Amino acid sequence: MSLRPTTGTTPGRLPAAPPPLRVRDVTVRFAGLTALDEVSFTVAPGSVHALIGPNGAGKSTCFNVLSGLYRPSSGQVLLGDETLTGRAPHRIAALGVARTFQNIVTTEGTVADNLMVGRHVLSRAGFASTALRLPRAVREQRAHLARAREIAELTGLAARFDTPVALLSYGDRKRVELARALCLEPRVLLLDEPVAGMNGAERARTAEVIDTVRAELGLSVLLVEHDMGLVMRLADEVTVLDFGRRIAHGTPDEVRRHPEVLRAYLGTPGEDAPGEDVPGEDTPARDAGTRGTTAQGTTAQGTTAQGTTAQGTALEEATDSEGDPV
Amino acid sequence: MTAFLDSILTGLALGAVYALVALGFVVIFKASGVLNFAHGSLLLFGGYLVAVLHDDLGFAGALAVAVLATAALAGALDRLLLQRGDPDPQAAHVQTIVTIGVDIVLLTDLSRRIGGDLLTLGDPWGDSVTRLGSVTVADSRLAAIAVSALAIGAVFALFRHTSWGLSLRAAAEDTEAAALMGVRLSRVRMLAWCLAGALAALAAVFLAAFPAPGLERTTGQIALKAFPAAILGGLTSPPGALAGSLLIGLTEALAAGYQSELHVLGEGFGDVAPYAVMVAVLLVRPTGLFGAKGAARV
Amino acid sequence: MSERIPKGAVVLLAALLLCAPPFYLDAFWLRIGLFSMAAAIGAVGLGLLTGTAGQLSLGHAFFLAVGAYGYTWLAGEPGPGLPTGLAALLAVLLAGAAGGLFSPVAGRVRGIYLGVATLALVFLGHHVLLTADSVTGGFNGRSVPPLSIGGFSFTDDDPGLVLLGVPFGAEERLWFLGLALLAGTWWTARGLLRGRPGRALAALRDSETAAAVMGVDIARHRSAAFVVSSMYAGLAGVLLALAFRRVVPDYFGLALSVDYLAMIVIGGLGSVAGAAAGAVFVTALPLLMTRYADQLPLVTAPGTTDGGVGPTEAARYLYGAAIVLILLYAPDGLRGLVRRVRTRLRPAPPAPAPATRPSASALRTKEPTP
Repeated sequence: MSLRPTTGTTPGRLPAAPPPLRVRDVTVRFAGLTALDEVSFTVAPGSVHALIGPNGAGKSTCFNVLSGLYRPSSGQVLLGDETLTGRAPHRIAALGVARTFQNIVTTEGTVADNLMVGRHVLSRAGFASTALRLPRAVREQRAHLARAREIAELTGLAARFDTPVALLSYGDRKRVELARALCLEPRVLLLDEPVAGMNGAERARTAEVIDTVRAELGLSVLLVEHDMGLVMRLADEVTVLDFGRRIAHGTPDEVRRHPEVLRAYLGTPGEDAPGEDVPGEDTPARDAGTRGTTAQGTTAQGTTAQGTTAQGTALEEATDSEGDPV
Repeated sequence: MTAFLDSILTGLALGAVYALVALGFVVIFKASGVLNFAHGSLLLFGGYLVAVLHDDLGFAGALAVAVLATAALAGALDRLLLQRGDPDPQAAHVQTIVTIGVDIVLLTDLSRRIGGDLLTLGDPWGDSVTRLGSVTVADSRLAAIAVSALAIGAVFALFRHTSWGLSLRAAAEDTEAAALMGVRLSRVRMLAWCLAGALAALAAVFLAAFPAPGLERTTGQIALKAFPAAILGGLTSPPGALAGSLLIGLTEALAAGYQSELHVLGEGFGDVAPYAVMVAVLLVRPTGLFGAKGAARV
Repeated sequence: MSERIPKGAVVLLAALLLCAPPFYLDAFWLRIGLFSMAAAIGAVGLGLLTGTAGQLSLGHAFFLAVGAYGYTWLAGEPGPGLPTGLAALLAVLLAGAAGGLFSPVAGRVRGIYLGVATLALVFLGHHVLLTADSVTGGFNGRSVPPLSIGGFSFTDDDPGLVLLGVPFGAEERLWFLGLALLAGTWWTARGLLRGRPGRALAALRDSETAAAVMGVDIARHRSAAFVVSSMYAGLAGVLLALAFRRVVPDYFGLALSVDYLAMIVIGGLGSVAGAAAGAVFVTALPLLMTRYADQLPLVTAPGTTDGGVGPTEAARYLYGAAIVLILLYAPDGLRGLVRRVRTRLRPAPPAPAPATRPSASALRTKEPTP
């Protein structure tokens, strides 16, 4: 089965090679705490680029900058020639940048409903034409639903297409998020811990999906993941963050031998390369609960995915809660 | 000039009373994330108790009973109805609508009891006035300013110097962290509701005192004007609520005082001026005058 | 979602049942039905805003007033005296425009805070209704010109009409007008909810952040939901004005807004059928209790002043309590009740994993409360 939109009528983005995603000297500060400190890296067209680091290293903050949720204090993010920094999230999405969340964020309704939200930017029907069920709107909806079904098949959700998301297992819901992001026909896919909390079989399945998607659609993937096995298997390049700074960069093999990386993960220079699951989940996150809480004395409010108390989330939510009280 | 000073004094007195109500909104919101739409009914409940009890207990006794009873009612409302559900983040939204349901029931009952009557509260100020230079001011207004100032001062001291105040601020910042630090959230919450109830009962007395004709079934609706006050203040900031209340009180008094000049806006514009101010402010600053800035997000 | 009975048959049966009352019931019942239909139209609009988009509004009465007064002024004297059909249409658009004017606030103010902001609309609106005498008739209001479309007027005669031996007066005629408008409302609102805008609104209700990164323009969709909701309210206002034959300012107060909120909460947030059911409940209850006050225990006849509980009050106690109980124990409202019964009658769905999310409940926003 092809991943490319099969029906000629389906409005999709042309599957041309994605432009490079360049992150240049991005700095993010929250109330005196520097979450990202002049971080730079480039996601090469069509590659899988992994962003790793201990909890609180700034990975999620980086994602939020990329998707327009945070505005960096300085620095730039470029997709090809387009500047992403300073654009509203929905405009960045329209440029073909899709993401998933660490803690599952789905909408009430069926899998189909959720996937169709992913088709939002690719469709046009407004309030009036939808309310009046104009043929144009009906046709458009049908075409997009067909494409959403294809993507559900691809991600192994076909049998659950009309099932309410609330009834799905954890792994399935996690996959709904991935499928929804794919529904944007993205040029760049940002995956925030796509396999966290999954069992072995589910992990393998998701890894397979990511691999296929990349191979067939040629899109670029930026991956945050604690599962080192997955990172080593999928990633072409790896950037390592610690305390908001880039401490290493290179191929998976280079990175796993990098002394700074070993120090960041294990606290002391060791011989052993980080193996499966070492960082984040089995290693008690060093300094857990200190850095996150210093941000305005607040910590995570949301429930994070099983097992991972990520301070990245803490930071996000801390700033979220600064939001408008009115 | 006299008219101006008169309006200012009236505005300060009104603002002081609104501040009692607005502080209640803020305290409840900080503790539970709920906008209490039943606040007007709580206020009316307090006023009604003073009205029916003052003959037997005297004004001070009736007021004491009313303040305690309203505090208890507010606390019970929180503990028995609102705190039932599991504390998921959406609960606050649901609970806000629950308070609307509670308001319907309470208001219906009190309106039925009060009917079309005007109840006197037997307050000691009556209709006596004091001359301050060229301005004549009702004693009840001076009392409103003085008592409100004392009460507000006491509340601020509570915030600052008691463990409850600390817990409340911690809970408002982050419920989860506060719970981890051993704060008994449900008690902190309930006490916040009690405090808000007590303040509302106190406010009722001044809203019904001279030159107002007495306690009516619509007195509770006046409490809603403290909503704009609290919103202007950003809803989480007690000093903001105080400033917002004074602004609302002054606006209302000036709009009423200069009604003849403002006749294009229609008779009785003073009563709705607070809402006009709120809309104007929200247009410019959706987070209120003292609200936290939207940070660098969406 | 496979129903055993074909959907077309259900719709046809419902339509037949709804067309029958004018032939069997007297004007009292028809008026209850008419008010219920008007309320249902307004409630569907509020349901879209509050239930689907998660934006609380207490300003619904204002938009009902804009529709009712807009029609009255546009079709009447003083006023431009437009053809009544055109006036009705323009009144709906006027309500939408009023909603649009408020959209700088409605688009940016989120969730329950919008509820407070919209209080301003009710109070300022009421003030204008009282003071702008030349347009609104002031405290005493105005009488509403009857609707007349293509020579057929919705009055007791002109032209006289007898169908199946039943003389068709104003109520009978308006009944069918109400049915048509309600059907239109139902059809468009369902379309909206199941289409692109409805899904976008639900997404931003459940998580503003997630919706934004999916490409939903948050402020625009919030504003649009507000405008659409105002237009439904305007339509409801027109129908109410026609049914009342007189509009007065005091009707359009905060209590009316709260009534509409009660309707959608009781019906279950986020569904068209729920909103309609809630509307019938909240509208018909006080009227029925008034009618049967002498037969009900604990309720005294209206007008007596012995301190007993009057029928209107009894109704308010009931639905105030209904809001509290439903939100605490059955957040899906009537809709959820129906669904639960239906699920029980249907074979179990294929291997559902345990639901970990709380059941559908009111206004949801994932964002932590600011």
